[in-house]
Amino acid sequence: MDEELDIETLDPRKDVRGAAEVKELLRASGLDAEADIQVFVVARNRSRIVACAGLAEDVVKCVTIAAEYRGSSLALRLMNEIHHLAMKRGQSHLFLYTKPCNVTLFEGCGFHKLVEVLGHACLMENTPVGIKDYCDSLNAFRQPGQRIGCVVLNANPFTLGHLYLVRQALRQCDWLHVFVVSEDASAISYADRLELVRAGLAGMERLTVHGGSRYLISKATFPSYFIKDACVVEACGTAIDLLIFRRYIAPALGITHRFIGTEPFCRLTRKYNEDMFEWLENVSEEGQPVHVVEIPRLEVAGHPVSASEVRRLLAKGDFVTMASLVPPTTLACLRAKYAFRTQPQEDDYATEIIEVE
Amino acid sequence: MKIKKEAICGTLESNDLLVKVVPFGGLQVSIYSEVMRQFGARIREVVDETLKQMNVSQGKFVIEDKGALDCAIRARVQTAVLRGCDSEELDWKGL
Repeated sequence: MDEELDIETLDPRKDVRGAAEVKELLRASGLDAEADIQVFVVARNRSRIVACAGLAEDVVKCVTIAAEYRGSSLALRLMNEIHHLAMKRGQSHLFLYTKPCNVTLFEGCGFHKLVEVLGHACLMENTPVGIKDYCDSLNAFRQPGQRIGCVVLNANPFTLGHLYLVRQALRQCDWLHVFVVSEDASAISYADRLELVRAGLAGMERLTVHGGSRYLISKATFPSYFIKDACVVEACGTAIDLLIFRRYIAPALGITHRFIGTEPFCRLTRKYNEDMFEWLENVSEEGQPVHVVEIPRLEVAGHPVSASEVRRLLAKGDFVTMASLVPPTTLACLRAKYAFRTQPQEDDYATEIIEVE
Repeated sequence: MKIKKEAICGTLESNDLLVKVVPFGGLQVSIYSEVMRQFGARIREVVDETLKQMNVSQGKFVIEDKGALDCAIRARVQTAVLRGCDSEELDWKGL
């Protein structure tokens, strides 16, 4: 294939014809054009699009090359363009999902493998030092002890249920690391969620509160969690996130136990909790196993405390009932900053499934 | 000079290299090359020299090399620094 190819960008929302062509190309490779892609880089010969790569925030996906153009280092040209384009859009750190059989191809395009769900999917990142630097930064927070615990909270918002979970976990370990999911896809902003967790846990000893990262329940490691209509959380969707935790984050901090709250409401979260036992404890997976400890949820007046219930009360403006479910710091913040919101946001359902931890 | 914003320069084509710069408290250079065993030491020399000539004191550099010649390495590093420092002013004589 010696003919000249033009490399162009394509906005699927503006260029309807181009988007249809890309969709057709993807379908030929057995891929769907995912709705959250903001921009495509495409390679065009005189008559048609022969290759494409999509970018959704910091995730590269929907990459394909027409069969007759494979083996001509076109992937590299596409990925070079994606790198530069993403940089212009303020994204220098990119993630990419692919099948294990394509890992070598993307390694040649500047991506480095993070984890693989055997035979199904791989998550790669576009830097050789990304996860290493992150683990080095966590390493500074390592604490001595036999049992080092971890709790990951979305805390949307922080409730007495979260406080209870942390207290129970703390009883069972020498030190507890509390992470707050940093993806800003929830009703309460990340800055406020983090602040409320810090305020709610202030003064407690043997505990470190960490901000989240792209490596921990983010749109990069856990795409299906933040997509509104994700009714089916695929097995490998949870696996990637949990394997990163097991292979990188847990060893960096010496974490031996991960604590979760039981999930009485949401089927999806129950699935995530079940998967956690599988991916963190299973001895056949790479890396030291992390023990998973499920703690029954706190009940107030016979009902398990849930952050989604708090958000419903917030939407109704019922701060009196809310006072029995959240610490004073959370109540004050919600009253001051979120009291005027009447409509539940679209993503409430999706975020519900992670906040239970 | 200090790296003030993230920037990239170059490609991952054969005989080229990709340089990424990020603001950072100190000066940190990581080099990855397909020809690390044969030329790793020389690549580091060229990068260090170039940064020294440009008086770069702060920034994190990640370099992925695909067998580039010295002159290409110098040029890519210089451009990445200029982009990262958001400056077009360069003392060409000093280089």
